[in-house]
Amino acid sequence: MSLIDVENLTLQFKTDEGLITAVDNVSFSLAPGEVMGLVGESGSGKSVTAKSLMKLNPGNAVYAPESRITLHLDSGPVDVLALQRPRDMEVVRGGAISMIFQEPMASFAPAMTIGSQMVEQLLIHTDMSKKQARELSIEMLDRVGISDAPTRFGQYAFEMSGGMRQRAMIAMALSTKPKLLIADEPTTALDVTIQAQVIDLMKDLVDEFGMGIIFITHDLGVVAQTADKVAVMYLGKMIEQGPVREVIRNPYHPYTQGLIDALPQLDDLDKPLMPVPGDIPSPLERPEGCVFHTRCSKIVGDVCRTIVPGWSDTGENHRTACHLCDQGQTA
Amino acid sequence: MSNDNLIETQDLSVGFPVGGKIFNKSVLMAVNEVSLSIPRGSFFGVVGESGSGKTTFGRALLNAAPITGGSAHYDDGEVSYDLGKLAGADLKEYRRRAQLIFQDPYAALSPRMTVRDIIAEPLEVMGLCNSREEVDERVREIASLCRLNLEHLRRFPHAFSGGQRQRISIARALVSKPRFVVADESVAALDVSIQADILNLLKSLQDEMGLTYLFISHDLSVVAHTCDHVAVMYLGQIMESAPTRQLFQSPRHPYTKALFSAIPSLDPDDRGKAQKLEGEIPSPTNRPSGCQFHTRCPFATDLCKREEPHLETCEAGHAVSCHRWRELQLAG
Amino acid sequence: MSAKTSTKIDDQKAKEAYFTASQRQLIWARFKKQRAAMIAATVLVVLILSGLFAPFLSPYDPTVAGRDKDYLNGAPQIPKFCDKNGCSIRPFLHTVTRERSLATNFRWVEKINEDERRYMQFFVSGDSYKLFGFIPGNIHLFGMDQGYVHLFGTDSAGKDIFSRTLHAVWTSLQVGTLGVVISFVLALIIGGVAGYYGGAIDSVIQMITDAVRTVPSIPLFMAIAAFIPPEWSAETRFFVITLILGLVGWPTLARRVRTHLLTERNQEYVLAAQLCGAPAGHVIRRHLLPSFTSYIIVDLVISFPYVVLSETALSFIGLGLKDPVNSLGVMLQNVTKADVLLNYHWYFIPVLFFIALVMAFVFVGDGLRDAADPYSETRK
Repeated sequence: MSLIDVENLTLQFKTDEGLITAVDNVSFSLAPGEVMGLVGESGSGKSVTAKSLMKLNPGNAVYAPESRITLHLDSGPVDVLALQRPRDMEVVRGGAISMIFQEPMASFAPAMTIGSQMVEQLLIHTDMSKKQARELSIEMLDRVGISDAPTRFGQYAFEMSGGMRQRAMIAMALSTKPKLLIADEPTTALDVTIQAQVIDLMKDLVDEFGMGIIFITHDLGVVAQTADKVAVMYLGKMIEQGPVREVIRNPYHPYTQGLIDALPQLDDLDKPLMPVPGDIPSPLERPEGCVFHTRCSKIVGDVCRTIVPGWSDTGENHRTACHLCDQGQTA
Repeated sequence: MSNDNLIETQDLSVGFPVGGKIFNKSVLMAVNEVSLSIPRGSFFGVVGESGSGKTTFGRALLNAAPITGGSAHYDDGEVSYDLGKLAGADLKEYRRRAQLIFQDPYAALSPRMTVRDIIAEPLEVMGLCNSREEVDERVREIASLCRLNLEHLRRFPHAFSGGQRQRISIARALVSKPRFVVADESVAALDVSIQADILNLLKSLQDEMGLTYLFISHDLSVVAHTCDHVAVMYLGQIMESAPTRQLFQSPRHPYTKALFSAIPSLDPDDRGKAQKLEGEIPSPTNRPSGCQFHTRCPFATDLCKREEPHLETCEAGHAVSCHRWRELQLAG
Repeated sequence: MSAKTSTKIDDQKAKEAYFTASQRQLIWARFKKQRAAMIAATVLVVLILSGLFAPFLSPYDPTVAGRDKDYLNGAPQIPKFCDKNGCSIRPFLHTVTRERSLATNFRWVEKINEDERRYMQFFVSGDSYKLFGFIPGNIHLFGMDQGYVHLFGTDSAGKDIFSRTLHAVWTSLQVGTLGVVISFVLALIIGGVAGYYGGAIDSVIQMITDAVRTVPSIPLFMAIAAFIPPEWSAETRFFVITLILGLVGWPTLARRVRTHLLTERNQEYVLAAQLCGAPAGHVIRRHLLPSFTSYIIVDLVISFPYVVLSETALSFIGLGLKDPVNSLGVMLQNVTKADVLLNYHWYFIPVLFFIALVMAFVFVGDGLRDAADPYSETRK
């Protein structure tokens, strides 16, 4: 049984310039203990998708009526998009789902110690006593590899280094024992050596806590190292998804192939870098048909410019939305 | 000074005063006794984590950060300067010959000027052109070299995406026909699919205009693909410097090795094999004694804690600053 | 098909216009989208124009010279087009006789003679005035063929409140402009020096600024009011008050100028210009000043109502301008008498003008501030 099911999620933002489609008919599901990498460039809608799982998007967001997000908890399924009152949201936000962000400095209140924020959150979401909450917080800080946890517990976010803050953020997110952890570019702001430490830590924590993780990143290397399955997004559309080995070794969609070819790799220094031609279109001018056709080098014909491609199976649990599939061609 | 080096630094140091103006006065050594030679026509990479002093090093070579110790020389065959003592007409001429490409394509372009005016600004400031027509001519020339749509020159930067802005930024840096260009994290803010495009553009411009780059980056894999020679910086010092291929095939310094293994591999089965670094980079105001890296080095000995190693040449063009480089087997 | 292509071309044109729009055009386009700010801007323009042309628009001299001594504390008179004797294209008023006696409990009682009409005339010559202070004239927009018309009634001296209000708007605008200009010039110099040079100079200037900011304004005003000799003419008083407002108002603005300069000076494109060897003059002219003007205009518009408010407050508590001068503060002060509150409600009409003026400035300022940042995220 899956942990969360997202069906036909479509989300638009009302702006001065008109309706901007940020997420277009996205469906996926995640099992408990599974790590899904959500990959895409800026403007691909990956963060917006993840935030809608907690209904965290700003007030000008409009969800299409056929969108459905179902969270399966022990107490029964929760229809996330139907939640209205802040009280009801508490089940989801910070309860069943926790989130960690790219810039942990911005996620900690500057005038509160790390510890008091962790305790406060535990008091809201669990029925622990203050003492228990404090003990658990220190234990969690210790668990994420923060040395001298009791001292760090009483410190402010600005007293910590970037890597340390990200660890504290993870400790805080996991202390409520969420079923699902959303990690929004958690390592992008970190140095490579620290990134490696944080990735290792997250892998250990998945084994230990067994929660599902949605790992948002633009770095395919990070996904390859952390995720069980991958979903690739482009301009709000999910274009390819499947097990991580399948997608990275046999990418089917021209965009996924382009992303992998554009990545400088250390094992072959002579391989020329292949950029994906063209620029990402502005969200105001979403291309008709396949959203990627303006930059695609493998256009099949007019069908790419006019018809939105549907999903096709391109391997075991591996699906791709591309007209190449209908042609029965191998990419 | 050998004749085919564009830039040579000897024990170059850059320090900034920190703390109160009167009390707690101390000096932060952002760059600490760096000796490097950048050959003409090379694509020279400097890698390091944040706080390694790589940006300050680049700025010092552009005379935008104060050189507080050591020396730096510039020699492009036509003119040569001592960068520590530049002033007046020499400084003006050096500004024309040495330019900077910024990291953030959003902050580096004035939102109040058209693309044409942005690219033309260096020409006007330096007084390189006599007439407006000449300026326009040069702007169009460099814009098409940077693959900008000439019809877009009337537009303002807000009309462009990150990749396009970075091309404008490059055009602006190159319009005065410089010899030496410092590219400071110039692709770090761009999406992966655009990044390769900009790197290829920098390469092709190098061939066409005979440029020498100092390419500053935190991303080893980008550096590996673009640079001929790489220097690894840590806490303001050079840890290792070698031709790219040599550095990647046989790194001598434990830090270089650690940087490599920290890069997440694209191979999903290559999980967690690598040896990872513990701890974090110390603050430059509170430097460790001896080898700067010993606090995180898995091979550190008492000697490393006591005595500072010096950059030694281990092979032609390959220098390393480690007490134990002879005994450690890091390759592979 | 052709319709489709033509809309496409229009679309392309609109887009190109947007892409080639300068910062100022973008701000204006954004400003136009805000309804409240646009309404406020219209109100503001109307108020400024009516203040500017007050001598022409008002039928009488606002001082004792233009008083209607037979109609003290008189109620507003609204011209009519019809009465029981029929209608007229030309608006008219009836003749009014007023009487006060023991029978009326010593209050003025008006008797309207509905058979006698007084007609309104336009572009009549009347009290002479100087438009903008130097163009002499005596033509007023409207007047009566006989007697007076008081749209907003009269005060205890018989002065026309309508005329007074328009002149008061003008005075308050003058005080505001002068005060803002004085504090702005000070702010620009002091904040500019602090922001451009930074370092020790900045620290010292910040200390002085903070010291000035800590001076409490009301006691300061009271002290100054005590200091102003009573024999000073209204004009001198007016000038001194404005000067004081300007001298007290600069620190806030200076701080903003300094902050703008400090952030703008560290922008990468400024560094880019400096790396080309651009001299300070070029950086200031091409980068710092343009980056600034829109913000400074916004700041000016926002700080304007505060100066008007301070003048009004000062006059209201009796420390500022005094009765013969027409300022909104003086008009407001007149409202405080119990007699007025009970019997002469038309004294409140200038208050509405005052509120409208301040609100208009605040809304326009807010709108400009929101519009001034074309690159900010779209807000709800």
